[in-house]
Amino acid sequence: MSLSSLDPRIARLALPDSPPPPPDKPELDQFETYEVFHQKKEGTAYAYVGPVHAPSLDVAFLFGKEQYSRRFACTGLWVTPTSAVQVTAYGDDAGSIYDTLPGGQIEPTEAPLSESAEEQAAYAAGEEDYDIFHLKKRGKAHAHVGKVRASSPAMALQQAKAVFGEQRPVVNVWVIRSADILRSDEDDRDIWSTTPEKKYREALAYKVQDKIERFKAENSENTPQA
Amino acid sequence: MYGSASTHDIPASAATGLENEDPILLAEFEARIARGEKIEPRDWMPALYRKQLIRMIEQHAHSEIIGSLPEGTWITRAPGFRRKMAQMAKVQDEVGHAQLLYSAAETLGKTREQMLSDLINGKSKYSNVFNYPALTWADSNVISWLIDAGAIVNQMANAKGSYGPYCRALERICAEESFHLKYGHDAVVHLATGTPTQRRMIQEALNRWWPPIMTFFGPSDKMSVHTEILMRWKVKMASNDHCRQQFLDMYVPKIWELGLTVPDAKLRKNEDGVWEFTEPDWEDFKRVINGDGPCNAERLAVRRAAEENGAWVRRALLSPKAKYVKPLA
Repeated sequence: MSLSSLDPRIARLALPDSPPPPPDKPELDQFETYEVFHQKKEGTAYAYVGPVHAPSLDVAFLFGKEQYSRRFACTGLWVTPTSAVQVTAYGDDAGSIYDTLPGGQIEPTEAPLSESAEEQAAYAAGEEDYDIFHLKKRGKAHAHVGKVRASSPAMALQQAKAVFGEQRPVVNVWVIRSADILRSDEDDRDIWSTTPEKKYREALAYKVQDKIERFKAENSENTPQA
Repeated sequence: MYGSASTHDIPASAATGLENEDPILLAEFEARIARGEKIEPRDWMPALYRKQLIRMIEQHAHSEIIGSLPEGTWITRAPGFRRKMAQMAKVQDEVGHAQLLYSAAETLGKTREQMLSDLINGKSKYSNVFNYPALTWADSNVISWLIDAGAIVNQMANAKGSYGPYCRALERICAEESFHLKYGHDAVVHLATGTPTQRRMIQEALNRWWPPIMTFFGPSDKMSVHTEILMRWKVKMASNDHCRQQFLDMYVPKIWELGLTVPDAKLRKNEDGVWEFTEPDWEDFKRVINGDGPCNAERLAVRRAAEENGAWVRRALLSPKAKYVKPLA
C-alpha cells in the first residue's frame, strides 16, 4: 500500500510506506554559523538579531536578510563568521564587565571616520579597526557602540575599555575585526524597501470586528430571543 | 506557532542528578534566576537544565517545521490570490521560527544536524496535533487560528523563562504570531458568517480539530520533583492545566459568538470561573504520539524526502576548510 495523502508532495514523490531510516547526518551537513546584526531605522545602532548557517559569508548575508529582515523594518545588515567574534566573560546585570579586565594605561583612540596620513601610517604599522558591541542586559541583544583601532583583538578590548569603559551596565563585550564584517552597501538601500506592499502579512490588515457585529445583529433579528 | 508543552516532560522517575552538581555553582545559578536575570550560553548550568531546555526548544523547532506541512499543502488550493499570498507568508514564518529555535537549542551544545537526524529518525517528538490531517480549507483555517492561539499562550509564558537565547528567539516569534492569529481568525469568521455551506464546513472542521486541540497542552502535570525544580529554574513557566484554562477562557467565547458549537456537551465555565470539560482521551493521545496516528508516517516522509533531495546542494556548497563553531547567543 502506498500512502494516500492530501499532501501533493507525497503523491508526487511516491514515497515507500516504511523506508529504511536514513543515516545520521555528518556534522557539517548544514554549514558553519554566522552572526547577524541589523539596523532597525536609519541612524540607530546596529543590534544583534541571531545566527544563520551558511556555506560562505556571501550566502550568510542572503540568509540573514531572509531570516531577519523579511518581516520587520530594516535599513541595514552586518554579517560576520561566528569564529571571528571575540567574547569576554559574562557579568551580572548591574555593573560592568570592563571592571574585571586588567586596567591598562592606554590613551583612548577611537577609530576616526576618515583616514588622514597619520592613520594610514598606523594601519601600515599593523593596526586595524575593530567593532565593539555591548550587551546591556542578559536576555537582550548586543548593540554596536563604536570602533577602536588596535594591533590585536586583545589590544582592541583594552582600547574599548579606555573609550567605552564608563558606560553602565555592560554585561558582556564582543570584539570583531571590522574587516571580518560584511556590511550592506549604502548604494543598495532599495533592497530594504520591499515590505510596504505586503500588507497581507500584517496583523493590522485583518479587521474582523465589523463582520462579527454585523453577523450578530442579523442573527438576533432572525432568531427571536427566548 | 506551535510550541506545546505536551511532549516535554521528563519521566518523573528519572534522576535529577542534582547531587552531582557543584553546590556553590548551583547556588550562584539559582540566585541569578531568582534575581530575574537570564542565563546565557557560556554560564555554568546544571546538566538537568541543559538537557530539559535542549529537549524543549528542539521539540518546539520540530513542531514549527512539521506544523507548516498541513497548512503548506493548502497554499496551492487556497481560495484566491490574496489568501495564497498570506498562507505562503505564514508558512514561511513558521519555517523561519524553526531556524531561530534550532539555533537557540544549538547554543546548548546539540548540533542542528543531530536535531534534524533525530527528527527524521523518529527519536524526537513534535507537537502531536500535526499527526492529524487538514482535510479541507476550513481545517487549515482552524489550525491557523486555534492551534496558533494555543501556541501563543505557551510561547508568551515561555518568553518569560530564564534562558537568554530562547527568550530572544521567542520575542521575535511572538511578534510574527500576531499576524497568524488575526489571519486565522479572519479566515474562520469569513466562513462562519458566510453561506450555510461555508458555515457547515467550518463547523465540521472545528468538530474534527477540537479533540486534538484539547490535548495540545498535554495532560495535567503530575507534581514531581522535576516539575518543581524546572519551575524554580524558570524552564517550565506555567502548568499544562493553567495554559489550557487560559486558552479556553480566551477563545471559547470567540467561537460561541460566531454561532459555532464546540463538540463537548460538558464544556462550561463554572461559578468559580474554572472551565469544565470532558477529559480528553489520553490513551489515544499516547498511541498517536508514539507513531500510530493518521499522519505520522506522512509527516516524517515529507521531511525525510526534503532532507535527501537537498543533500547534493549542501555537498556542492560545503567548503572543505569549514570548521564548525556553535552560535554565540
